[in-house]
Amino acid sequence: MKLFKIAAAAATGLALLAGSAQADDKPVVGLIMKSLANEFFQNMLVGAQAHEEKRGDYKLLAVGMQNETDFESQINAVENFITQGVDAIVVAPADSRAMVRPLKKAMAAGIVVVNFDVALDADAKKQQNVDLAFVGPDNRGGAKLAGDALGKKLGAGGKVVIIEGNPGADNANERRLGFEDSVAEYKLDLLDSRTAHWETEEANTVFSNMLTAHPDIQGVMAANDSMAIGVVKALESAGRDDIVVVGFDNIPAVGPMIEDGRMLATVDQFGTDMAANSIDLALEVVKGGAPLEGWVKTPIELVTAN
Amino acid sequence: MTSQTMTEPVPAQARLSVRSVLQNAGIGLALLALILFFSVFTEHFLTPNNITNILTQITINLVLAVGMTFVILIGGIDLSVGSVMAFAAVVAGKAITLPGFGPAEAIALAIVAATVTGVACGIFNGVVSAYWALPSFIITLGMLNIARGAALQVSDAQTIYSFPFAFEEFGSSMVYGVPVVFLVALLLVLVAWFILNFTVFGRLLYGIGNNEEAVRLAGHPVFWYKVAAFTICGFTAGIAAIVYMARLNISSPIAGIGFELNAIAAVIIGGTSLSGGRGSVIGTLLGAFIIGVLANGLILIGLSDFMRQMITGVVIIIAVVLDYYRAKYTSK
Repeated sequence: MKLFKIAAAAATGLALLAGSAQADDKPVVGLIMKSLANEFFQNMLVGAQAHEEKRGDYKLLAVGMQNETDFESQINAVENFITQGVDAIVVAPADSRAMVRPLKKAMAAGIVVVNFDVALDADAKKQQNVDLAFVGPDNRGGAKLAGDALGKKLGAGGKVVIIEGNPGADNANERRLGFEDSVAEYKLDLLDSRTAHWETEEANTVFSNMLTAHPDIQGVMAANDSMAIGVVKALESAGRDDIVVVGFDNIPAVGPMIEDGRMLATVDQFGTDMAANSIDLALEVVKGGAPLEGWVKTPIELVTAN
Repeated sequence: MTSQTMTEPVPAQARLSVRSVLQNAGIGLALLALILFFSVFTEHFLTPNNITNILTQITINLVLAVGMTFVILIGGIDLSVGSVMAFAAVVAGKAITLPGFGPAEAIALAIVAATVTGVACGIFNGVVSAYWALPSFIITLGMLNIARGAALQVSDAQTIYSFPFAFEEFGSSMVYGVPVVFLVALLLVLVAWFILNFTVFGRLLYGIGNNEEAVRLAGHPVFWYKVAAFTICGFTAGIAAIVYMARLNISSPIAGIGFELNAIAAVIIGGTSLSGGRGSVIGTLLGAFIIGVLANGLILIGLSDFMRQMITGVVIIIAVVLDYYRAKYTSK
């Protein structure tokens, strides 16, 4: 315990040193992301670093997490940024409820907070009396774009399944809801909906089994491209080229699949730019601009073969 | 079985194989019951296509579980196999997409890269845990993080793709409806079975699991035997990486998260004792089948994801409790 306290004191000391090292008058932006093991956030980090270099009028401190469920390290990161006295915190919360209280503390310390990627929970914000805008894509709307593409292709009565992301994750929920919106609008027949935890191998296995149970499947909506790849491989080994697949994220690996028709569509939410755009908005406020309000939607785009 | 294995190995071996037949019969019956259940309650379960699917789906877990059997038999554990598989897959993915190689050379290079990576991680696990006599639980937990970090570092957290067509073909080719990748796994099971039952090395691994000190006093280099067990486990993680790549045609740095637990489950359901010294790789084969059949059948039956996860957990616990009684009666 004593050792822990010493370590904590040392860490705080270091953080303070790091803070005071920014003696020049460039504003400091603390960027808090989710798991850097995720291609999406890795690209986002690269985008933000390029943006820092390009603008050259601010200092970026970026932090990621060990894995998708490691909320603790995000909370610690907020506290460290408060101690360091950063000018703005730009955060993609791992948990839409757990992050509200620490961010409230940061706002009370006079730090400009911008919430991007995943919106903080509205009820939790109300409870804590926090008023905070959200900058981010409409995951539900994006999934509906992909779902609609599938719906148009299959027509009413088309038999479809959904491969979901991690149960309980906000973006997974939103994307599932978006797909379900398309199912309702195009009167599709939803045969089954299962999670493959965002992962290719699991999607391959889970979808193969769904296909066995429902050989009459006509379309698949996968909540990310990694899972869509697993689905495409399952279709290839089953020798089925009559089933239409849509994904989400537009990772480079699906490019060839969309080109040659193994996938119908995916959705690009421009993750590389998302952090950079949020930093721009935060710096605007730091320089005396009006505070952000409501939901600042970032662009999403349906990607197809043409 | 105690240190007497060393002084009179032949009778002990005979007795053990009778016992292992009894043990495997129990697991075999459980598997048969599951198959019967799903055949009755779903129309698609016992179809050629679905059987092919199950064989494909259990292959990676089976390959990892064969290596894990060696480590658990000496009373160790290897938590790093999922991460090591991802690391090996990423290194091999980098190798196979190197420019300037023909498809055959690229594939050979990838296979070498994956196995060398796996073996290197295994040697590290074995040497560190055996040299300082540290619990392999914690050393391989360290390796779990090292290998995962390395996989992300090497790949820059990006999925690696576009492998030669021949590699893809190998991953999806069949012999009479049996996936070739499964045959590779089956070959590993047979080789492991031979090593564990008919070589001095194999018998001594059981001896180490039962009474390490006795094996040491009998003059055997226990250190190297332990390193060898972990090396075999790393090797199978490398083979699993090749299977992963051939089956999915990508290398993902986040592949294999939690695979170590499935491999351990297959070994334990298969009747190998977590404290070492007792068990068989044939049991592991059946254990992998039980996990695979369950995962497949519960989806065909239409059970929700959450119920499916709960039932899988219940089956693991039942298998271990049954194993307690089986061990009690067969050791009399």
